[in-house]
Amino acid sequence: MHEHASRFGRADHLVGICSLPDADARSTGVIVLNAGLVHHIGPFRLHVEMARQLAGRGYPTLRFDLSTLGDSSASGEPLSREQQVQSDVADAMTLLRERSGCTRFVLVGLCSGAQNAHLVARDNEAVAGVVFLDGYAYRTTGFKLRHYLPRLLNPARVARHLVQRLRPAQPAGSGFRVEFPPQARVREELAGMLQRGLRLCFVYSGGATGYFNHRRQFGECYGRALARHPGVSVSFLKQVDHTYILVGDRARLLDDIESWLCTHFPHVDAPPETPHNVVAIR
Amino acid sequence: MSTRTERDEPGYFGPGQDLFGIYHPGCLGGRQAALLCPPLGQDLIRCHRLYRQLARALASLGLAVLRFDYHGTGDSAGATGEVDWSRCLADVATAAGQLRLRSGCEQVIGFGARLGGSLALAAADRAQFAELILWDPVLDGPGHVAALDALQSALRLDGNRFVAPRPAAALADQWQGFAIGDGLRQPLAGLRLDPPRRRTLLVCSSAADGNADHHRFAAAGAEVAALSQPTPWQDLAHLETAIQSHELIDIVGRRVQEATYA
Repeated sequence: MHEHASRFGRADHLVGICSLPDADARSTGVIVLNAGLVHHIGPFRLHVEMARQLAGRGYPTLRFDLSTLGDSSASGEPLSREQQVQSDVADAMTLLRERSGCTRFVLVGLCSGAQNAHLVARDNEAVAGVVFLDGYAYRTTGFKLRHYLPRLLNPARVARHLVQRLRPAQPAGSGFRVEFPPQARVREELAGMLQRGLRLCFVYSGGATGYFNHRRQFGECYGRALARHPGVSVSFLKQVDHTYILVGDRARLLDDIESWLCTHFPHVDAPPETPHNVVAIR
Repeated sequence: MSTRTERDEPGYFGPGQDLFGIYHPGCLGGRQAALLCPPLGQDLIRCHRLYRQLARALASLGLAVLRFDYHGTGDSAGATGEVDWSRCLADVATAAGQLRLRSGCEQVIGFGARLGGSLALAAADRAQFAELILWDPVLDGPGHVAALDALQSALRLDGNRFVAPRPAAALADQWQGFAIGDGLRQPLAGLRLDPPRRRTLLVCSSAADGNADHHRFAAAGAEVAALSQPTPWQDLAHLETAIQSHELIDIVGRRVQEATYA
């Protein structure tokens, strides 16, 4: 595995690092999107560890910063945020294709990264799969029963809840708040991705328990047919936090992603072309 | 002095081409350059944007600037658990040499926040810094180790992060998201840094913090500047919140301009 730093993009405004296998590169590349405002190394260096592990297993992997995030600049184009994300990821695909020869891509995104991955996967034909970390889900009746019933049946928790309600609001901790599009639209778009043959991996953490609290909820949200589709994989890591702060939790997540990739994207390509246009400080 | 600067360039450098850095060219023929030494651990991520803003501000004043990652941190080679204090000191010197080579400037200012300040200070002779600008540097290693250990213990029970407390073993040998090996813990546990024998600006987030250190530095000839707001360095509730301070950037910019016209 070796790494190259690049400035790239239609306005030469993006910065990213390609992690490339030394031999036996697979035909599927992996592109890791920003998690919130954290620059491309990811929360607690998650994206660096992910890129190196996946490249070590043969998957060319690019971690980069979208326009105006991390080390990347603005493109200067009059684009909406959605258009900008789509164009930036298309630029990232071009770079990884040039460097490694891969022809299709798996996107990985955590939180807002999952939303951006959804946005791109919806329209971009080069996307073959997506790993959504704390991606979209919606509160269902099952969610509410699982969430409220234990509280109502426990007098101490009811009392604690009432006391909390009487206290002034606490400053925000590491919790997160995101705005989701309508559930029916997301369901339809996910179904469209599966129809196109995409493989989708959903991982929900304990940090998402404000809107997702059981693996079964995925089917409650999107329907049994979609949840049981062979292209869909769902897991719920209840003990784990939203940004994988513990070393052991990160290692398990990365092993799970690697295993999912090896199952769904096992193809090995011819050796990649020699990298060019490497930017180095000399 | 305000000049049009060229685009910053990412790349790898060092003997094994394994250190990641971003070089911000200053104006042609500039006399000074600045090396931005990042903090370690979560502070590195929290300060990333501020370091980029500072680099661009200094480049717009004509300085060539290099920001970089130590071995085992950021985009540089190496696993997180391999971060080693001695290697970090060597990396500061390597980066300073790279900056001189790239910019043609002999005079390099070393800047660092928290442990980045400690590293800039400890490596000042080796890196031949002409001047130091240190923002809340960690001068008392044992106290810092104890504070990080306490924060890690509190993390286990953090109800804002975990649905239920995690077993202590799951948090062992880590500081707030990063594996810690003896190559970092042991040297830090014995770290005591004295004021340097060179032109130094000590920037303090809070006048209440480490007054004895301020006096020690002032007595040794360093200038001391205080920010108007405290910086939440070791606060579990803000562990993933970016550190921002336009005031810090202004202070460093003014200091650099003073040096340029001195």
